[in-house]
Amino acid sequence: MNAPFFKFEYFNFDVSLIIAFIIGIGFGFALERGGFGNAKILAAQFYFSNMRVLKVMFTAIVTAMLGIYFLSVIGFMDLSLVYVSETYIVPQVLGGLILGFGFIVGGYCPGTSLVSAATGRLDGFMFVFGVIAGIFVFGEMFPLIENFYYSTNLGSLTLPQYFNLPYGLVVFFVVMMALGAFAAAEWAEKKFADKNPENSL
Amino acid sequence: MKKFFSNLSTPKKLALVAILLGVVAVFAGNPYMGSEVRVNTKDLALTTVKNSDKIKPLELADWIIKGKADYTLVDLRSDDKFGEYFIPTAMNIPLVQLPESDLLRNQKIILYADDDVNTAQAWFILKSKNFNGVYLLDGGLKKWQDEVLFPKLAVNASKEEIAQFEKVKEISKYFGGVPQTGSTETIDTKVQMPTPQVTTQPGATKTKKKKREGC
Repeated sequence: MNAPFFKFEYFNFDVSLIIAFIIGIGFGFALERGGFGNAKILAAQFYFSNMRVLKVMFTAIVTAMLGIYFLSVIGFMDLSLVYVSETYIVPQVLGGLILGFGFIVGGYCPGTSLVSAATGRLDGFMFVFGVIAGIFVFGEMFPLIENFYYSTNLGSLTLPQYFNLPYGLVVFFVVMMALGAFAAAEWAEKKFADKNPENSL
Repeated sequence: MKKFFSNLSTPKKLALVAILLGVVAVFAGNPYMGSEVRVNTKDLALTTVKNSDKIKPLELADWIIKGKADYTLVDLRSDDKFGEYFIPTAMNIPLVQLPESDLLRNQKIILYADDDVNTAQAWFILKSKNFNGVYLLDGGLKKWQDEVLFPKLAVNASKEEIAQFEKVKEISKYFGGVPQTGSTETIDTKVQMPTPQVTTQPGATKTKKKKREGC
């Protein structure tokens, strides 16, 4: 048995959908348990008064990174089979800004809006509706922006490749970066505690 | 030491574990090299017996006509032979250059050469390099010629065989082949057959869009 299981064809496409369904439920459950179904908690991130988003996301990144790295080092996993999405730097920076803007205004990112809607929150439903409308508009105008969408392609880029550093060293730096970010987040939460609407309730 | 550790909060314990693993990572080496080549002989033998690694020429012809783009077709013959004729959508990687080629492990790769021997060797090279989606065109270019380009109808063909032949005829014409209905001079015609029949434009299909993955 070697990972990634799907790429080694341990199960077919149909089974992969069932597994994706189960993992998806687990993911949604974890997001809800983390408080990500609540727009107030998510929006507080941008006022530095509740840094839960950063903490949860960075923890997930570090956990996944360490897992993938060590499983590959011991030969259980073939990292070269893991899909790395391509980098289109300018369109993706712009897309990130638009997403961030929507995140601040609406209080959700696409994933958390589904979690919110699943728990019955009306703002979550509205957000999901907005996402679908946005997808529709984007799809209709895609021919106009297709050239831009595929511009400045840097290929499937990873940090070790880009900085030309040993893979293990990058792992170490990212762990350190995460711990530094956690410490800074704790500090910010204390400093901006007065701006947190939850504290004033 | 033990007391110090148990006095820490859970997040701090986890942070300590992360630091430890991070430090180990600096010395643990490259994960891409970590997976050494191990050939699973039983697995290889099983796929060979079950023929699950073979693509029938007519099946491939069907995919090309439908414009399926989820595979990479590799012609293993030499440059000049490739210049004479190649199956549409194929790219040329002579067998000697195969180990250094930039094929990706997660591609579905279909190999062919003149016959099965070279193809099988290439298949084994890629399999032992941990490529998992490697297939061979059953019977190589020879069978492609016999079944797709120049299919033959036997004299005493049954109804089903004739019906099947009618279908194949269309496929054959698509690839610029000549279906053989005559039965007596089969050997004669076969000699003049292997002329290059590239009717489909080769350059146009070269730039294949990769199947999109991920979120």
